[in-house]
Amino acid sequence: MMRPRTKKILFSFSLLVFLFFYIPILFVIIFSFNDSKLGTVWTGFTLDWYGSIFQNKQLISATMNSIYLAVITTIISTILGTLAALALHRYTFIGKKSVEFLFYIPVVIPDIVVAVALLAIYGLLNMSLGLNTAVPGHVAITISYVMLVVLARLSSFDNSLEETAKDLGANEWKTFWKVTFPLIFPGIMAGALLAFTISLDEFVISFFTLGPGDNTLPVLVYSMVRLGVSPEVNVLSTIIIAIMFIVVFVVGLRMRKGGDAK
Amino acid sequence: MGVQMVQLEHVTKEFDEANVVDDLNLDIRSGEFLTLLGPSGCGKTTTLRMIAGFEKPTSGKILLNGKQVDDMEPYKREVNTVFQSYSLFPHMNVFDNVAFGLKMKKVGKEAIKERVTKALKLVQLEEYGNRKPKQLSGGQQQRIAIARAIVNNPKVLLLDEPLGALDLKLRKQMQLELKHLQQTLEITFIYVTHDQEEALTMSDRIVVMNKGKIEQIGLPREIYDNPETRFVADFIGQTNIIEGTVTAIHGDTATMDFAGQSLEIPKTQDMALNEEVFISVRPEKMRMDTVPFEGAINLKGTFKEKIYVGSVTKIVVTMPSGKELTIHESHDNIEELTNTNDVYVSWNTKNTVVLKK
Repeated sequence: MMRPRTKKILFSFSLLVFLFFYIPILFVIIFSFNDSKLGTVWTGFTLDWYGSIFQNKQLISATMNSIYLAVITTIISTILGTLAALALHRYTFIGKKSVEFLFYIPVVIPDIVVAVALLAIYGLLNMSLGLNTAVPGHVAITISYVMLVVLARLSSFDNSLEETAKDLGANEWKTFWKVTFPLIFPGIMAGALLAFTISLDEFVISFFTLGPGDNTLPVLVYSMVRLGVSPEVNVLSTIIIAIMFIVVFVVGLRMRKGGDAK
Repeated sequence: MGVQMVQLEHVTKEFDEANVVDDLNLDIRSGEFLTLLGPSGCGKTTTLRMIAGFEKPTSGKILLNGKQVDDMEPYKREVNTVFQSYSLFPHMNVFDNVAFGLKMKKVGKEAIKERVTKALKLVQLEEYGNRKPKQLSGGQQQRIAIARAIVNNPKVLLLDEPLGALDLKLRKQMQLELKHLQQTLEITFIYVTHDQEEALTMSDRIVVMNKGKIEQIGLPREIYDNPETRFVADFIGQTNIIEGTVTAIHGDTATMDFAGQSLEIPKTQDMALNEEVFISVRPEKMRMDTVPFEGAINLKGTFKEKIYVGSVTKIVVTMPSGKELTIHESHDNIEELTNTNDVYVSWNTKNTVVLKK
């Protein structure tokens, strides 16, 4: 049994950790309702910023750009990452370990290196920068995550299930879609979600490889806060927090339901 | 019976330059319950997987119902497999699991329903169609795996240690159920196991394998009563293997010298004077007493120990050469023996099996 004193100390410590995480976020939310152009002093309650944010064309276009990039990145990374994971799981070939290793590198390599490298290549090829020039970089850093997550799922996959399907008359194609895919789908989904969030959040690569007129949300927010944290940034953050809160809540609820069924 | 259902001709399978299956020749008759029996690594599972199509033989031919199949994909062969791990699709309910093979063959919806229901009835699980495999016990999962295979009316059903994961009591019960099922359906069963008792209980014929080769093919009785090789004698049941030299040959018996003691053995064709010979005698065929036996076999030794094992008492006798003989006595008449007592061991000459070299 834990001694009461130990219990108290642990409790206070946990509380401090949570406060450390959530107090700044709480301030962001509170100051999104602040009636002042400069967001550091509380002057009164207003919902004005929530109205003006939807008038801000720059912000809306950056949001659309971010979502566009994230969607394209997720699709490409999920397909390629899943295929790579299947190949690494199923086949043995010369240099397999090296190939696997190459997939780990983007996870640890700093984004700035990828960004600079891509910029160099674009320069070499004389390509003009635009929104799509950020895609390769985003794919490069997210594909490994998809691959790793799907591979982890596959490692718990019972290979005799595929043999069983073939034994029962399913060809390769049907075996994949009727048995393998449904069983690794949760892994693919997790990988896709991870890719989506990483891409949405990505700053360094976007900052370097986007065209002059194209902004993603993180890049735009960065340029906005250089002149001081405006209430609009607080509003934007609050909206994102709200969305994330709902997403996590819904996913958690579904997972609990799934757990009960088992 | 009679028609050859599966034929293996000079089938060899190499893995990493070692022959896991070595020049195997085997004819399996239609409607027979044939068991491949052997220790792990003897090639029995590989043989089964080659018949199913999961492995291709390095050389040799496999014929299924007269057609050569060794290059045919598993999904085109008219065989179905029951795996040791049951291998039920966890994302489908029991009904869909059993219906999987029929759906792949594009059988009509009504026919699928009828056949699946019939198959589930056969394994006494018709109430469980809507359950997920996880909600079933091990024995029930095994039954579903069997139903999923037989619903396709395969010509041959391959079973890879299907009862290995079940507890003893359930395993015994399932052995009989499987045997009855095979008799009802008249499907050829090829059954892989390392459990000799299971093989003896269920099989029409047993193929004993060791190191990729067939040691002996025969009826369960033949395998047990007349093992041909040392390996078979040792692997099936318990036995005493006695090594000696042939010292005389008369009519249909011979005399063997076993470390200074003479005993009578049946004569075999390839027996020659002064040559080494191995015999096998089952413990339950041997008798032991404190006074010498009349007759052709009377070995003297010292009593070592007795072990009560329920149905019999095991007696261990040490021969002068140090060799230990195990005798199963059904009654306990040796209460007062100690390990200094001289005892005598005997058996009927006709219970001696001379083994091939």
